[in-house]
Amino acid sequence: MQILDDYINKVKSLPPAPRILAQLLTLLNDAEIDAGRIVDLITFDPGLTAKLLQRCNSAAAGLAEPVYDLRQAVSLMGFNAIYRMVATVVGEGILGSAQRGYGISSGELWQHCATAGLAAKVIADKLGAETELVFTAALLHDIGKIVLNGFLEGAYEPALKLTGVSGQSFLEAEKSILGVEHAEIGGRLLARWNFPETLVKAVWHHHDPARACPHQQLAGYVYLADLIAHCLGQGQGYQSFAIRGRPEVLEMLEISPKEIEDFVIQTALSVEMANWIIPHRS
Amino acid sequence: MPSLCFKKPPVSEKRLVIGVGALEVSKDPGAVLTIFSLGSCLGVAIYDPVVRAGGLLHAMLPDSSINPARAGERPAMFVDTGLAALFRAAYQLGAEKHRLRICVAGASHFMDDSGFFNIGQRNFQQFTDILRHHGLAIAAQEVGGFVSRTMQLRIGAGAVCLKTSGQNSETILYRS
Repeated sequence: MQILDDYINKVKSLPPAPRILAQLLTLLNDAEIDAGRIVDLITFDPGLTAKLLQRCNSAAAGLAEPVYDLRQAVSLMGFNAIYRMVATVVGEGILGSAQRGYGISSGELWQHCATAGLAAKVIADKLGAETELVFTAALLHDIGKIVLNGFLEGAYEPALKLTGVSGQSFLEAEKSILGVEHAEIGGRLLARWNFPETLVKAVWHHHDPARACPHQQLAGYVYLADLIAHCLGQGQGYQSFAIRGRPEVLEMLEISPKEIEDFVIQTALSVEMANWIIPHRS
Repeated sequence: MPSLCFKKPPVSEKRLVIGVGALEVSKDPGAVLTIFSLGSCLGVAIYDPVVRAGGLLHAMLPDSSINPARAGERPAMFVDTGLAALFRAAYQLGAEKHRLRICVAGASHFMDDSGFFNIGQRNFQQFTDILRHHGLAIAAQEVGGFVSRTMQLRIGAGAVCLKTSGQNSETILYRS
């Protein structure tokens, strides 16, 4: 689909590829985790390493003594906690800016994605899914918006303000205006950045998980995490609730509406504990 | 009308952010209570114009029966226990039930006829059921739709203001 790749190629200020996340996900998946390679990979980026150590030493991390290097941090906190910390530092760098074409102010897209990431972790922990993969997919699920933002800004905003009311979902409105939508573009971008196929498909179909077959389970988690973030108020921008309900997702994941409410509660508590989400300001 | 809300506060203002599952009441004329980003959650503002006291609730889910233990710790998480706690806290400040002006916002919903994810609708339904049961009326409301909103109660002015995400304009939902 040349037209879709053209959109990605035309964006002037695409962020640097978060290749480190794709590489770390692969390393975490190995039967025997190679601690040395993980530490080497992260410390190759001194800026990232400094931010990680700063977060490890924050009161919220709860470590009894200060850490001075990454190897020590990994041994105290474990690979998975360090991986999630890397993902949040990298994610904030990519998703932190305003997306005016969507009516999203600075920090808001990141707050949404970070909340979805936490919701996804809650779901994955409860349902026994691969936590880091689910967390990453939810964290990056709206990355396509940074590609399409510039094309929507200005002329198309009045049309976007009518979505939902007009009977069109937000995704359908994007498609009718631009011929593409953010979920597919996001999936294509992540494929280009060498993320695993299952994560690519989950992001690609996060508004219609059944179409992600055979990766519909992961897409279902991301879909639910996206809705939960919206429920908790982290779904800013024009008509952002104009998302199609997919009741079949509950059946597919074998969860009840009551469990969804439990996920909402657990996510709200996780957000309160997370020191890495930018706080609200007026 | 001159802008009333969401401006940079003068030094005398005391800004309080009401997080998810929390509530605050005040009779301090400088107090400005704000809920940032209401999605399907319900924001309920009450205000007694006689004693000039009021409060703001940010409830997340309709019914405390799904998790009574949690409701015991944080009644404001649920519409039923949260409303009771909000009114009780306002009475402590001298407010009286039938003088209270009640405003409500939030309860946004998705495009879903099957109702599989209808937390917003159920939050508002629970709220109206409880009000009806107690013979109370809504003074002003802005609920539903596909947007997230920021809600503010300014105690000194007795005003409730709203801002919709993606729009620069603000509206005064209620002014005493």
